[in-house]
Amino acid sequence: MPPGAEREVGGDDSSRVTRVWKLVSAQAASRRGRASVADVCAAAATSVDVSGAWVTAGDGINPGQAMCATDVVGESLAEVQITLGEGPCHDAAVSGAPVLAADLADGSGNEWAVFAEAAVRAGAAAVFAFPLRIGAIRVGVLGLYRDKEGPLDTLHLGNALILADIATMLLLDAEARQADDPLFGAPLASQSPGLAAHNAEIAQATGMLTEQLGVGIAEAFARLRAYAYAQDRRLSDIAHDIVTRRLRLEPDLPG
Amino acid sequence: MDQELLSDTFVDLADTMVADFDVIDFLHLLSDRSVQLLGASAAGVMLADPRGQLRLVAASSEAVRLLEVFQIEGEEGPCLETIRTGQPVIEPDLRHAQERWPRFTPAALQAGFTAVHALPMRLREQVLGGLNLFHDRPGPFDSADVRIGQALADTATIGLLHERSLRRAEVVGEQLQAALNSRVVIEQAKGKLAERRGLDMDTAFTALRRYARDNNLRLSDFAQTFIDSDPADFPGLTEPAHHRHRQ
Repeated sequence: MPPGAEREVGGDDSSRVTRVWKLVSAQAASRRGRASVADVCAAAATSVDVSGAWVTAGDGINPGQAMCATDVVGESLAEVQITLGEGPCHDAAVSGAPVLAADLADGSGNEWAVFAEAAVRAGAAAVFAFPLRIGAIRVGVLGLYRDKEGPLDTLHLGNALILADIATMLLLDAEARQADDPLFGAPLASQSPGLAAHNAEIAQATGMLTEQLGVGIAEAFARLRAYAYAQDRRLSDIAHDIVTRRLRLEPDLPG
Repeated sequence: MDQELLSDTFVDLADTMVADFDVIDFLHLLSDRSVQLLGASAAGVMLADPRGQLRLVAASSEAVRLLEVFQIEGEEGPCLETIRTGQPVIEPDLRHAQERWPRFTPAALQAGFTAVHALPMRLREQVLGGLNLFHDRPGPFDSADVRIGQALADTATIGLLHERSLRRAEVVGEQLQAALNSRVVIEQAKGKLAERRGLDMDTAFTALRRYARDNNLRLSDFAQTFIDSDPADFPGLTEPAHHRHRQ
């Protein structure tokens, strides 16, 4: 576990988030790599009662891009939805809410006749799609499939949602690294995915920073966490200082 | 009980649920009206997230939001209890509830609340969340108020699941997450507007909500649009009121 993961987690889901994060880190450790969305997919296959998983990156407006998949079935489920422009992942990306199709052959596939037929042919009986987002910041979709029909129970649904939070942070991290801005090098995924996605003050502070810094919402969030990282303080504490107007960030931070 | 306000409330809630329905806007209307109707000082609506934590989705004021967050983080309090048990939790005098909730009680008293009333939001066997009512005077509560409160909590449940057939059990999970995601978008938009205009968060929220209503937009959709746009595109919202036409 990266430093910071424990200290940032608070509330009664802390042990649960920590447990799921450990599964992802273990996947990364086993291939001696930095944690990525591929590790989230691998962890999903062991913690959510599904056969496989994939991640598509995208903003919900333009067609997505397949990032990784645990197997060929996942790969084809990702591709077919991008090609057709329909399916549960497509809908989750557009609406921003999960789409849970527990039985593609019977009923829950009706909305996407072409996709459902292709999915069943590929070997999927159920598909569950989770948007990767923090409010208005949208980065992609986590897709899960099972070769047998049936809904996710509450425990597995919860794990899937936590994995989606982690995948969101990892995609944002990867974008920051690609941007090659040292300010954005702070590993976000280590700063409690659940907390960052659900803390009202962090959301409010992110909105405030769009104005203070004159940037978009995704960059405002990147700046917020980069600042917290540089100061070695909790994201929630920095957010609290911004919301209570004790702290302002300047547009021209030295990079 | 103000009978006229009561009937107006159900008419307004029904109206909200017909056209351009927005679940967060609806839950806020519900918490505001609960306060007015039931003589409470403040109200909040919490939902049970399958991630294993409660999430606050609506509050009649920022003060309640802080208290509710305290309840979530302290892992104790009336709302947690009502969600765990599916039963109403009524504490008419918090001054005698120190042992019941050793962390929540002092925080509530410090915020000026002396009685609390938590009502479950149930769908069949499942508890989706709870409606909390805070009072600045000790109880006991009128039994008619308790019944109306529960009716409002049940209406909140129906609103949450609005427009979606419950044929599929999964729809409940989808709708809960949609509401939680909308909440975050609205918080981000509040921050942007608050910074732009130098407002506090409550005032920013009221302004966003009024603008969405006046322009027939769903609050969550508008919040997303506002975040993605130049604030100058919304002069009615982002310029001080005295620049605008007086209504």
